[in-house]
Amino acid sequence: MTLMEVPGRKISENLGLVYGSCVRARHLGKDITALFKNVVGGEVREYTKLLAESREQAIDRMIDEATGRGADAIVGLRFSASEIASGAAEILVYGTAVRLK
Amino acid sequence: MSLQEREPTRDELLAMAYVDGELSDEARRDFEARLPDEPFLNREVSELKKLATLARRVAPPEPMDHEWKRLEGELLYGGGSRLGLFLIAIGVLGGSAFLFLELFRSSLGTGPKVLVGILLSGVCLLFLTTLRGRLKTLPYDPYTEVKR
Repeated sequence: MTLMEVPGRKISENLGLVYGSCVRARHLGKDITALFKNVVGGEVREYTKLLAESREQAIDRMIDEATGRGADAIVGLRFSASEIASGAAEILVYGTAVRLK
Repeated sequence: MSLQEREPTRDELLAMAYVDGELSDEARRDFEARLPDEPFLNREVSELKKLATLARRVAPPEPMDHEWKRLEGELLYGGGSRLGLFLIAIGVLGGSAFLFLELFRSSLGTGPKVLVGILLSGVCLLFLTTLRGRLKTLPYDPYTEVKR
């Protein structure tokens, strides 16, 4: 969760930073379609989906790391995005893995 | 008695405005100050929040999604997009093959021909290896189903 604490529960142990990252690209055909969307306007659904895929995969990787440490929750969750290559989406998601009482 | 059968009280209206985020800062602070001492208000806010969550869950998808789905099923849009990509792919492959042949028919010396041939072969090999890797891993990639 994005909160720094879990409502109604107390944090018993801080297990440290956990993160997941992912860089994904779509195939050239979708890039070409997206290029034309730049001309005609509207939502570039090809890239909306690309970002969503990256986000979900990064979250799953972070949860895997937290689960591996025996965490009950991840607090202070944050997202960060950047562009590594044109037409690719990089998402970094990070937070603090904690054990709850 | 439900709200459908009577006019909502002032507190109920306040709670609705609070949950919808429509109160001014001062009104919101005043309202929040009352919450710890007034269980009825607390319960009302809690129920309205649950209702708002439920309403969001059962809300129909965006109309634009329906339209996109319909468009993608249309021969002109869906078929046209696929045909367009297919023609581009054929053009790129055909053009590459033509350039490859022209290179060997050209008056370039054997050395440059071999070097350019090695370069093009490397590019083709790298692309085919990458494509093979993607096709092999595609069935195990659950994220391709993510919509937004």
